Amino acid sequence: MLASPPDPPAACSLATPHIEVNGLELYYGSVPAVRGISFKVMPGEQLTLLGPSGCGKTTTLRAVAGLEQPTVGEISIDGVPVFSSAHKINVPAEKRGLSMVFQSYAIWPHMTVFDNVAYGLRVRKTSAAEITERVGRALELVQMREFTDRRASQLSGGQQQRVALARAFVFQPSVLLFDEPLSNLDAKLRADMRIELRDLQHRLGITSLYVTHDLEEALAMSDRIVVMRDGLVEQTGTPDEIYSLPRSEFVADFIGSANLIRGRHRPDLDGDGLTALETAAGQLIYGMAYGRVARPEMTVSVRTVYLRISQERPVGDRNVWPVKIEKTVFQGDFSQVHLSWGDQRLVARCAAMEPIAAGRAVYLAVEPRRVVLLGAENT
Amino acid sequence: MGSWFSAQKVVGYGVAAIAAAFVLYPVYFLLQAAFDVGDPQVRPPTAYGVDNFSGLLQYPQIMLNTLTVSFAATVMALLFGFVMAWILTRTNVPGRRLFEQLMAVPYYLTPLLGALAWSLLGQPESGFINGIWRALGGQGHLIDINTSYGIAWVMALFEGSVAFVMIAALMKSMDPSLEEASQVIGASRTRTIMRITLPLVIPGVLGAAIFVFAEMLGSFAVALVLGLPSRYYVITTAIYQMIQQYPPKIQVAAAMGSSLFAVMFIMLYAYRRVVVSGSYVTITGKAFRPRLLDVGRLRYVLLGVCLLYLTAAVILPLATLLFASLQKIAVIFPTAENFTLDNFRTAMTMNAVRSAVSNSLLLAFGTATIGVLLMGLLAWLIYRSRLPGGGLIEYMVMFPQAVPRLVFAFGLMWAWVIFPIPIYGTLWLLLIAYLTVFLPLGVRTIAGVMLQIDKSLEECAQMCGASWAYRVRTVTVPLLRPGLVAAWLLLFIASVRELGASILLMGPHSKVLTPSIVESWFGTSSELTATLALIQTLVVALAIIVLVAVTRRVAEQTPD
Repeated sequence: MLASPPDPPAACSLATPHIEVNGLELYYGSVPAVRGISFKVMPGEQLTLLGPSGCGKTTTLRAVAGLEQPTVGEISIDGVPVFSSAHKINVPAEKRGLSMVFQSYAIWPHMTVFDNVAYGLRVRKTSAAEITERVGRALELVQMREFTDRRASQLSGGQQQRVALARAFVFQPSVLLFDEPLSNLDAKLRADMRIELRDLQHRLGITSLYVTHDLEEALAMSDRIVVMRDGLVEQTGTPDEIYSLPRSEFVADFIGSANLIRGRHRPDLDGDGLTALETAAGQLIYGMAYGRVARPEMTVSVRTVYLRISQERPVGDRNVWPVKIEKTVFQGDFSQVHLSWGDQRLVARCAAMEPIAAGRAVYLAVEPRRVVLLGAENT
Repeated sequence: MGSWFSAQKVVGYGVAAIAAAFVLYPVYFLLQAAFDVGDPQVRPPTAYGVDNFSGLLQYPQIMLNTLTVSFAATVMALLFGFVMAWILTRTNVPGRRLFEQLMAVPYYLTPLLGALAWSLLGQPESGFINGIWRALGGQGHLIDINTSYGIAWVMALFEGSVAFVMIAALMKSMDPSLEEASQVIGASRTRTIMRITLPLVIPGVLGAAIFVFAEMLGSFAVALVLGLPSRYYVITTAIYQMIQQYPPKIQVAAAMGSSLFAVMFIMLYAYRRVVVSGSYVTITGKAFRPRLLDVGRLRYVLLGVCLLYLTAAVILPLATLLFASLQKIAVIFPTAENFTLDNFRTAMTMNAVRSAVSNSLLLAFGTATIGVLLMGLLAWLIYRSRLPGGGLIEYMVMFPQAVPRLVFAFGLMWAWVIFPIPIYGTLWLLLIAYLTVFLPLGVRTIAGVMLQIDKSLEECAQMCGASWAYRVRTVTVPLLRPGLVAAWLLLFIASVRELGASILLMGPHSKVLTPSIVESWFGTSSELTATLALIQTLVVALAIIVLVAVTRRVAEQTPD
């Protein structure tokens, strides 16, 4: 269950992170956008900055790109500093050897598809023959070959997205940056592009730094995720870790729906590797600490999908409670069941089932390993 | 963006420094002269004081004249603007679209042309209208254009189109659902207008009033042409007279000019405040499609109102000038042999005229070409580069807006007379003057297009590895082309018709068209002047046709 970080792809420089950001702070006047961010992206890895709007994720990405000048901090690419406030280093964006896919695609309307994709190669003074060949291959890869001579303004959103992608990788940059590249597509296309983008990234073996506010996108595409909030890192980990073992109430709440339960630690009832918590209303719930420190006042998180509802009393005596159903909200593939549990309300997500009448008495159960103690790791 | 030191910073601040020198150098000398209470013959000044300003109290008549004319003209201009805006944006008058476009024409015709034409029409003795009046059996004269109300009338006719543009934009940006909400609740139409519509437009109209009044205070051409014959002076014409007479009263003129500029500056500041604070609902920048009021039969009356305004501001002046230019001596009931093409022949062959026309065209080309480069860089610097100090540069660039051109030119003249490089009296000084006074026009035009270009288009080029110069050449300039072309043409037009700055700065060997028209009016014949004015109009009209064609093509290309 406890996922370990993925093995870095067999790359040459295992020790050197491809991108390293250290103590990054960025102020607009006196308004902080980023208040101290550090992370590393290993060669070939896809790292996602995830968070609500205004959390500083895009600003961080643009600082890595060189489009924003941070106030304090260090950014290194391949171990070479490209920004350092201490050493007054600020390599301009065009000399950092990165590439970027913009949220608005930024397709130049006065050029053809070919000219758009060829731009980075022309900047690098590539020969005409090679340009034709490489642009052709890049367009092939994004399935846009037949649009080569089309004016960029005649493309649909999804097509522009593909052109933007081809343009970004055609000159073989060492790193690709993505600024919410899928947010302007409709839901269906977004789901398809997600898979394509992931495939392409694997095929090219390129290091990428990805920014999104979309949880599903982040979970589906990333090797690792950095959850951000108010200009700070909230938690870093694999998608599995972030989802299963949120460290804070914010992460638990932001990453999918979770029930948060607050209460007192009952060390006298701990045992079998479980941690016991008693709510103000006297409900007892057992969970697991996953190496985190149990404080006298603590909070646990239970994902709505792990709460089980049954008519008969399940076997076992831990984490089983008789409860009343308040209401059921039908949502298509599943139903959301609101239950009154002690003095608080819990939400369970059940596979679509016959609606249970409000007021029915049922049993609620949850495996202790699904009850996750929130807090910092015990180091 | 960029590093601690880069080419764009050097170019950016270099351009800003040039613009700053252009703007601030003459203002400095204007203020120096205004506070100079020493010997007028000695420069630099030997003593400073405020006596020049207290001396202004000796000219109460000029102040009164200025206020009378400006106030009357503002009231009339707002009335024209408001009525036309209401008719053309809120009622179903026939031909709304066409009229809306025609409303820009008075602005391009220039107040000078209007003043010349209305002078021919309304002089008490020889005016055409008074001629008809007497032919119909009237006594004396029906109208006298050489009075305060005559001056205000002509100024209002032409500033009316500015007021129209401001008020129409206001009415268009008002969300019709605000009025609909009131009606749905059950308020009557009258109540809705009183409680919703008027309160919503009033701040904007007030803003327009302040803006128009400030423009009137600084306007020059109409008061010069119509006021001089009857020795009716307003502040700008008085300054002009003081500089031109012998010995010139430079210090008093400077004090008068800087006071005027201070008042205009305060008013334009107030205008911005009103526009900002009063913008609570209407000015969202979004254009709505207002519900049109069905006015029934009244629409033909309203159509008549529109036609009447355009007749007074466009058709009648142009027809009058054409009529006069075709006669030996302009009279209202000419005999057959009085008609002639001599005026056009003279205008084409006279050396003075030919050199004025070619100088004007040369200057206009130079101003437009250098201006687009300079103002394009400034617009980029202010709105795109995010280099520190952009806001300050914006204020400086917009500064000439608050200074009447005549006063600005006065400062320039005074500054460059003592400059070691002898450019005073040459076209070079006029070029500098034009580039300075048209800074707000050019920068605003280019910025309008620049702000519509998604910033990531430039950033993306940067991420592809392109240097600053390369991305400017391959991305910024091609995308900006419509804005640059429009700015070029606007600068060209503005240069060809420029009067206030040129009249003080042109030398005997560097005559340009518009001041020559004024000289011809007072010195030669009104028939030849009418011809020259028509020629100038033709040049401007050609430029406008190109401008319209370009903007239309751009509008068709831009996908919404």
